[in-house]
Amino acid sequence: MIGAGLLVVTLRNIIHSAIAMMVCFGSLAGMYALLGAPIVAAAQVLIYLGAISVLILFAIMLTQAGDANLPAPFHPQVWVAALAAVAIVGLTGWAAIATDWKAAATTVAIVVSALAKSLFTDYALPFEILSLLLLVAIIGAIYLARRPEEDERAN
Amino acid sequence: MTIETLIAVIPVLPLAGFLFAVLVGPRLDRMPSHGHAEHEAGHADDHGSHSGHGGDGAHGDAGAEGELRPVPSEEEQRATSPHAGHADDLANSNGADGVIPDDMNDGRGQPGHVVEGAPRPRYRSWIVPTGLVAVAWLFSMIVFGNVIFGGHTYHVSVYEWIGSGTFRIQVAFLVDGLTAMLLLVVSTVGLLVHVYSIGYMDGDRGFWRFFAYLNLFMFSMLLLVMGDNFLLLYVGWEAVGLCSYALIGFWYKKPSAAGAAKKAFVVNRVGDFGFGLGIMMIWTLLGTLNFSDVFARITTLSPTAITVISLLLFAGAVGKSAQFPLHVWLPDAMEGPTPVSALIHAATMVNAGVYMVARANPIFSASPTTMWVVASIGVFTAIFAAAIALTQNDIKKVLAYSTVSQLAYMFFALGIGAWVAAIFHLVSHGFFKGLLFMGSGSVIHGANGEQDMRYMGGLRERMPWTYRTMVIGSLALAGIPLFAGFFSKDEILGEAFSRGYYLFWAVGITVAFMTAFYTFRMVFLTFHGSWRGPAEAWHHVHESVPTMVAPLIVLAVPTALAGLVLGIPPEAGAIHRWLAPVFRGAEEAGAGILPGSLAGAGHTFDLLGLGGLLLLIGAGVAVAGIWLAYRWYVLDPEAPARFVAGFPLGLGPGIYAASVNKYYVDDLYNLVWARGGVLLGNALWWFDAKVIDGAVNGAGWLAERVGGALRRSQTGRVENYGLGIAAGLVVVLVAYLVIQR
Amino acid sequence: MGLQSYLIVSAMLFGIGAFGFMARRNAILMLISIELMLNSVNLSLVAFNAYLPSPVNAGAVFALLVMAVAAAEATVGLALVIAIIRTRQTAEVDEYADLKE
Repeated sequence: MIGAGLLVVTLRNIIHSAIAMMVCFGSLAGMYALLGAPIVAAAQVLIYLGAISVLILFAIMLTQAGDANLPAPFHPQVWVAALAAVAIVGLTGWAAIATDWKAAATTVAIVVSALAKSLFTDYALPFEILSLLLLVAIIGAIYLARRPEEDERAN
Repeated sequence: MTIETLIAVIPVLPLAGFLFAVLVGPRLDRMPSHGHAEHEAGHADDHGSHSGHGGDGAHGDAGAEGELRPVPSEEEQRATSPHAGHADDLANSNGADGVIPDDMNDGRGQPGHVVEGAPRPRYRSWIVPTGLVAVAWLFSMIVFGNVIFGGHTYHVSVYEWIGSGTFRIQVAFLVDGLTAMLLLVVSTVGLLVHVYSIGYMDGDRGFWRFFAYLNLFMFSMLLLVMGDNFLLLYVGWEAVGLCSYALIGFWYKKPSAAGAAKKAFVVNRVGDFGFGLGIMMIWTLLGTLNFSDVFARITTLSPTAITVISLLLFAGAVGKSAQFPLHVWLPDAMEGPTPVSALIHAATMVNAGVYMVARANPIFSASPTTMWVVASIGVFTAIFAAAIALTQNDIKKVLAYSTVSQLAYMFFALGIGAWVAAIFHLVSHGFFKGLLFMGSGSVIHGANGEQDMRYMGGLRERMPWTYRTMVIGSLALAGIPLFAGFFSKDEILGEAFSRGYYLFWAVGITVAFMTAFYTFRMVFLTFHGSWRGPAEAWHHVHESVPTMVAPLIVLAVPTALAGLVLGIPPEAGAIHRWLAPVFRGAEEAGAGILPGSLAGAGHTFDLLGLGGLLLLIGAGVAVAGIWLAYRWYVLDPEAPARFVAGFPLGLGPGIYAASVNKYYVDDLYNLVWARGGVLLGNALWWFDAKVIDGAVNGAGWLAERVGGALRRSQTGRVENYGLGIAAGLVVVLVAYLVIQR
Repeated sequence: MGLQSYLIVSAMLFGIGAFGFMARRNAILMLISIELMLNSVNLSLVAFNAYLPSPVNAGAVFALLVMAVAAAEATVGLALVIAIIRTRQTAEVDEYADLKE
């Protein structure tokens, strides 16, 4: 999965990067399953692999952005960025290692019914707002991505 | 009408006179109301009254009234003044370039511009001010008699002026023997000067202004001598300085007069600064400014504090009474009209310093250091000023330096602890110097504006009364026995010797010799010999009008007799009895008696012993001075020149030049203070423009640079901003982790 | 693997995503990197939920919510990118510097 992630950010061709991203998502789904949360794995596959990846591929194709093999895919600031990223990883990782989490020895699997129950009772409000958010996103996306002529004809 | 009421009223009268002169005065000095004459006599009238707009009083009524026109214009004054040339603001036109048209400027006043038959303005604004001053004189005499002969002391409280927490100042008057003596001098000489001015200032379009200022001065001086606390003293002190400025610069269009007035005020201010600091110290340390309270408590302070306070107070006296190094304003003050010189710079204002030191005798006598400083400055100034007076050619300058020298005598006396002798000399000096100054004014008028003695001579034929009174005054000044000056001056010298100040005594005797010499040099040059001025001017030489001569005669009386009345027997005369309560405890204290002197405590004067010998020496020295002057200026006029040329080591001309140039003190001050002030100003300007403005401008420049540098972080590119976010995240993480440790 | 291992992996993925966001020029690639970062967070959430269970399964629920929000955000973001690319004919974010000082 890490390797896939590295491929994502280093490949020249965007479409190759998108494929690598899908591989990454897939391996993440596997990890969720290993952690005893198959429902989340399923959701990962559905949403990310099924919807978002497709969305990104569509966007790449619609904008013809993937055709060109970029001569200079990286910014001048790439090394500083790498340094910053390493720093973040290092610090966060160190924080993770140095803390005593008092964690359980092995994973505890999720009981789906309990999860469903909490989703619809304790977290009902975020759930509803989320649906509203999705509605807003859809409307916004439609509006933003219009062709300009359609705008004028709509008026 | 109690004495207290009289006391409270005395200062108010001249104040009322001042207000009257200012409000009503201009209306009284008007051109007569002839219908025709006003048009033909002053054909340039309209031009004149417009050009004279600044000094006119009733401007609005000029056209509409028709009856009386406003204060005369310069044209009218020049056409009608009997003293045209030396009693107007265009007088003695040195330095009046551009003010007098060139064809009228002959450099010495304009006697030839009187227009015969021109209608004369009426100068009537003198009536009320002089009358009020006369009433004040009367009251002062009543109070004087009551205090001196009745032995009372009066505290009259009028009202509370300042009541601010613990700072309370009453307007209250203290009248004891010392104040009474000062009242005598101030009111008498003041009244006589008012009378004298009626004649002297006749024809001057600023006539009403002169009397206004004179009255304001009287008010201030009376406040000064009668006040019972330091603040009131200081108010009067400053006010007389202001009036002095106004009166010296009375002929304000003369640049030299305006400059002299400024000089007087500024030099005075230097002294007043120290004086003010002294008063503030008194307030801070003692919490009161009342004379009686301060004097009672002064010994509770440390000796250093007392010395500092008394030195600061003395600084004020140095400025006001023109002692070295602040003497420079007094000779220049002769730019003012002669009555001003007589009143202010001989008889009253300059005495304020002496009065103040005498009044504060408990403070001064508690500090031997200060007493020694006072005496030293007095002695030095005496000989310094006398050395300058020897060579001056202007009659008023001789008298001015003589005043400085005689005042120095008074400080000398104060410094050695001979308080009563100092006051005695103050009184007698007030009379004879006032006489001499007014006499000199009469001479100047009589000689048609000439003030340089080298161009006078032989005036005693034409001006007998002036001559006689001036001789009496000169005899008094020189210290000839039986005249007032003899008793007071020799009492000072006698006290000096018997208290052990032998060096100071020797200097004092030398100064007495020099005084007699230059005084009679003045008399002989002016009145004896033959006229050395322009031949055509000799026809106009005349005796002065009665209003000018009468005061001279009146003053000659006390000049001649005051010594006998006040000073006999020497050192125990009437004046000692009168003033004893004021100086109780201070006679023997302080630096009064040097250890090992011939006197001890309680020395007495013996006519047939040491005291008589000293009197003889003093008189002899005075006679010697007169005789030398007679030889050099009457018998053998070439002698002075031979003396200067034959002076050992060839120093003669150099010393003579130094003396004529006032020993270059003015030049030194000009260099150090005036030029130095300009340099300092330039330096500070440079500092302000370069450093301070540089800093301000630099801040702007810096802001610009920093802004320019920071601007480059706004790239508009989102990846740079993302990097910034990441970097910030790193920083926060580091900080958090460090703190957690 | 223990909890800490999962956390380290999550951190590494986050770092990769951050690097991609800051270092690449293509706008769509930047959005892809954002998705990576969001996923890393999801991983750590689920890991916590597994090793420190809570009665309401807060971690998993939150992860689901994050997924939904990520979807919405990707939608809108891509719509924006499409609009920009259509206008400026270039996908390079270097060119989008109109707010530059």
